[in-house]
Amino acid sequence: MILSNNGFVILIAIILLIMGALVAALIHVAQLAHRHAHSLKQTKENLQNEINDRIHAEETKQKLEVALLQGQKLQAMGTLAGGIAHDFNNILYAIIGYAEMAREDVEQDSLVHKNLGKVIDAGHRGQDLVSRILAFSRRQHHQFDPIDLKNTTEAALALLRPTIPAGVIIQFKPVEITILGNQTQIHQVFVNLINNAVDAMDGEGAIDIVMNHVAPKDPLLEQIPDILPQNYCKIEVKDTGHGMDQPTIDRIFEPFFTTKEVGKGTGLGLSIVHTIIKEHQGEITVKSQLGHGTTFMILLPEYSV
Amino acid sequence: MAKILLVEDDDLVRDMLTQVLQRASHQVTCAANGEEATQCLRNEEPDIMVTDIIMPKKSGITLISEVKNQHPNLEIIAISGGGRLDPTGYLDLSETLGAAVSFEKPIDNTALLMAIDLLLHGKKEKIKG
Repeated sequence: MILSNNGFVILIAIILLIMGALVAALIHVAQLAHRHAHSLKQTKENLQNEINDRIHAEETKQKLEVALLQGQKLQAMGTLAGGIAHDFNNILYAIIGYAEMAREDVEQDSLVHKNLGKVIDAGHRGQDLVSRILAFSRRQHHQFDPIDLKNTTEAALALLRPTIPAGVIIQFKPVEITILGNQTQIHQVFVNLINNAVDAMDGEGAIDIVMNHVAPKDPLLEQIPDILPQNYCKIEVKDTGHGMDQPTIDRIFEPFFTTKEVGKGTGLGLSIVHTIIKEHQGEITVKSQLGHGTTFMILLPEYSV
Repeated sequence: MAKILLVEDDDLVRDMLTQVLQRASHQVTCAANGEEATQCLRNEEPDIMVTDIIMPKKSGITLISEVKNQHPNLEIIAISGGGRLDPTGYLDLSETLGAAVSFEKPIDNTALLMAIDLLLHGKKEKIKG
């Protein structure tokens, strides 16, 4: 069959129309597929975010629970320490008193006299320990004044320097920072931390004391549960000592916990540091690895007039 | 020689202190708590009362405040090993209530005997100086 010219034109037009419609349909399908893929991607991202949020919330919750438990444990042990101090002082008083009387009754050059002297000395050591336990459990109100942290740290270093072995190098990088606190207590914090670092090094190594300002939006503060968003002073005391394993780190701030030899440590130094920092509305954390040293980080609210 | 009323609830400390005071030629009467001390003071007139603070039945704080009203001339020495409070907290309170001097346990017995002698000779001001 031979089409007329008109018929041919109409046929071409129909074919073009059909092709146009097909192209339009294909474009629509492609657009739908693209939108669908985008929506899938969005959904996947949303899910991922939600998972991350939940993991973060779970981690924060766990950190808070651990912090709360630790705080309660320290408080309970403080109460217990205060409770036993009274009875313990009576016992020590009886030991020292009887030993002194017995010593009066024997010859001065005798072995009994000498040994009773040892009993009295041991009693006095016990007395010293009790007074430190009481210092821990006391909740006395210390007077807080603006204090210059740089000066306080330098004073602690000056006090300790004569006792620090020559092989231990101390580097101090201070900044001008004022906090509101008790000078004696903050001094004690530095003395205890530096002593602890020195003891961890067996006579050789380095201690770095670094101070920095921390702004309220610093990511560091996000890692610490319950901390107020304000300006802080960060003090790090790093040593190159023998470090600690995780079970030791977990108990490091507990009263009476010590890794030192019998008679060398009371296990109260770091728990006193913890108590003092908490009384100053601050935070203290510890990072350590066996054989790689230890870093104590303290955050104390910065003081502004 | 002084007539001393010793008020202490801990048997060991009471016995030890009794011996320490007797060795220094003082005459000692003992009471195991504030209530017993009040009984003793009805029959005896000691020169000095040495009293613990934390005791059952009647505490040293109550005892001191009562005694200061009824026996204003009796000199008091407070002793404490502390407890719920810092021992110096109780001891400061005891001095506010009228104790002439106070000691934190474990006490240096030589210092305690010296304080007794000074109180006996009316030299209270020398103890704190």
